[in-house]
Amino acid sequence: MEKSLKDKNKTARTAYLFISPFFLLYAVFGLFPMLFSFYLAFFKWNGLSEMTFVGMENFNFIFTDPIFYEAIKNTFIIGLLGTAPQIIVGILLAFALNSTLIKFRNTFRTMIFLPYVTSIVAVAIIFGVIFSNQEAGFINYILSFFDIEPINWNIQNWPVKITISIMVFWRWVGYNTIIFLAGMQSIPNALYEAAKIDGATVWQQIRLITIPMLKPTITFVVFTATIGALQLFTEPLVFLGRNLRQEGITMVAYLWKDAFVYNAFGSASAAAIVLFFIIIIFTGINLLLTNRIGRTKKVR
Amino acid sequence: MNMSKLLKVFLVGLLSVLLMTACGGEDDTSTDDTSSDDTTTEDTSDDTTDEKEDVTLTFWEFGNTGYDVLIEEYMEANPHVTVELQNMDQNDLHDNLFTSLSAGSGAPDVTMVEVNQLERYRDAQDRFHNLKDYGADDVEGNFLDWVWKTGENADGSFMFGLPTDIGPTVMYYRTDVFEEAGLESSPEAVGEMIQTWEDFEAVAQEIYAETGKQMTDGAELIFNARRDQAPQHFFNTDDELIVEEHDYIRNAYDYTVSLIEQDLVGDIQLWTPEWFAGMGEGSYATLLGPAWMQGVIKDNAEPGVWSITTLPEGAGNWGGSYLTVPAESEHPEEAYAFVEWMTAPEQQLKSFLDYGLFPSAPAVYEDPEFLDYTDEFFGGIKTAQVFSEAAEAVVPVYKGKGYYTVNDVLQEAVSNVNAGADPDEEWNAAIEQAKSALARQ
Repeated sequence: MEKSLKDKNKTARTAYLFISPFFLLYAVFGLFPMLFSFYLAFFKWNGLSEMTFVGMENFNFIFTDPIFYEAIKNTFIIGLLGTAPQIIVGILLAFALNSTLIKFRNTFRTMIFLPYVTSIVAVAIIFGVIFSNQEAGFINYILSFFDIEPINWNIQNWPVKITISIMVFWRWVGYNTIIFLAGMQSIPNALYEAAKIDGATVWQQIRLITIPMLKPTITFVVFTATIGALQLFTEPLVFLGRNLRQEGITMVAYLWKDAFVYNAFGSASAAAIVLFFIIIIFTGINLLLTNRIGRTKKVR
Repeated sequence: MNMSKLLKVFLVGLLSVLLMTACGGEDDTSTDDTSSDDTTTEDTSDDTTDEKEDVTLTFWEFGNTGYDVLIEEYMEANPHVTVELQNMDQNDLHDNLFTSLSAGSGAPDVTMVEVNQLERYRDAQDRFHNLKDYGADDVEGNFLDWVWKTGENADGSFMFGLPTDIGPTVMYYRTDVFEEAGLESSPEAVGEMIQTWEDFEAVAQEIYAETGKQMTDGAELIFNARRDQAPQHFFNTDDELIVEEHDYIRNAYDYTVSLIEQDLVGDIQLWTPEWFAGMGEGSYATLLGPAWMQGVIKDNAEPGVWSITTLPEGAGNWGGSYLTVPAESEHPEEAYAFVEWMTAPEQQLKSFLDYGLFPSAPAVYEDPEFLDYTDEFFGGIKTAQVFSEAAEAVVPVYKGKGYYTVNDVLQEAVSNVNAGADPDEEWNAAIEQAKSALARQ
């Protein structure tokens, strides 16, 4: 039975009411700060005095600051080092956990997921102790068995990046595994059986069945992982301390430092806008690339 | 009728969500670091005293001050006042204070502000109560001149806060390491031996040659000690960066670098677990630090091995705080009365005896209890006298708004040199970075 127009209106109004709490909160705490940030980028403000209009000067500061470029570079390097392994290992682990060969699958699934629920700050502190600079630090101690000199983990360039990447990897590999696992449940077993009959190896099965069928999941995971990597902040802050060194400073850490250590909210907002555009560009590239997965070659 | 009932349920739900947000929104200055959240509250509904209404003051502090004991005393003497003490990490406190002053809400009634951080608020007089309005001028005579001046604004018409402790710098040293190197270890002897910074370097080389131990484990301390002795630091009174125009800071930097290159100082960062552990291990010879470092050493080393003597070529001041009353406080009179009491010479003496907070009130220096104070931990010497000698030698220095900005980049340069970077390059890069950061503020 067709609803009358009045009923449709009523339903529409109810629907709007349903979603209004979220949007009201979002408008106040999400949208307004974002728009204000765009506005603030053209002013100089230290939080206590008045805001003075400075036009593009903040952008000038940022683009002539070598640390800004370091921050971008660091974000990408740490992002790549931390994110790419977590996705690849995630798929492999999910495939392993999906197979019927392993006993106690549920225990493994829980264990793998546990790092995700830990507190980021606590993890960063503990990793800071494990990767401590001193000879007696855990990792340096193990390296000493291989006759390697103690490494300055939170000062030198690659050690800093590697440590932060390891922290990121450790945290997210379990999360990604579970998501992939969920995606794999929807792949019909018949495909695998047919492939086995045709003589496909495990690697071929993964490449030709699992990954194409997982395309929506992979799109989602790469999408969120990229955004997460570009916004990396807590691990560098806790590991390096408040005066984030240029070897490990990421984009968000850079703008945080500008705002809360140097009290330069204008240039911090300008950096935030630049980060915004970088994220848009990169997620766009991501979508383009992940759309190509599983596209069949034209058969002649 | 069904629809309107549903509508009512949704409206109630929406209202409750909005209410929860409203309640949550005021909490924007909740302490991030709640590891030691001391609240001492007493239930006082006593109205037998003359029409004083019950007042609750929030008091933010950082560090190990022992103020909770003093607060109990104050609350007993003033039953209508309740003081809630909140302890936080130093950086967190100042960040929270800055945010709450900027936002216009959430600031406490009384807060400790570290002397260098006070510079950030020079431009923001309107965010604090002028303590002179509440009688601060009456107690001016209680405090050391240079400490008092720093708490005032430039022309002396506005008082930000009353001084609590100061941090005259001295040389703490390990008697056992000096003895191991075949040197005398009494304070007088060490003071004689190290009268200039060249002497310091010579003794460092000797100790290193004899025992293989470094003179100090954190290069930062050497830089700080020399920096604090300079009559000019990073800015002149017009807030122009003068680091490149005079030599003092460059000399401090170069001296530190030369000690690093001779492997006489280590690269441990201050306030890390390794640094604390080093105090107890005796793996280095000296620690150049201020009076309040006593508490830190006592927490991390066993008694009898550390001793104290004066620094070569004078003393500096590192740290110290002021008790301020933000303008948001609704009880400025009670807050000021509390602040005045807390910083009075009697209370400063108690703080010193219990926690080593060095008083800024010269009256205390004459007090017999102070003069005779000996500390078994440091081998039974009269520690108070060593510090008061240093305190009276301090020359006030203009710090400036951007003090920590410049200081931090120079510290980073020092630690980069420790990790093997080229000193000149690091210095230049640090100055460039400081200029860039300052230009944005």
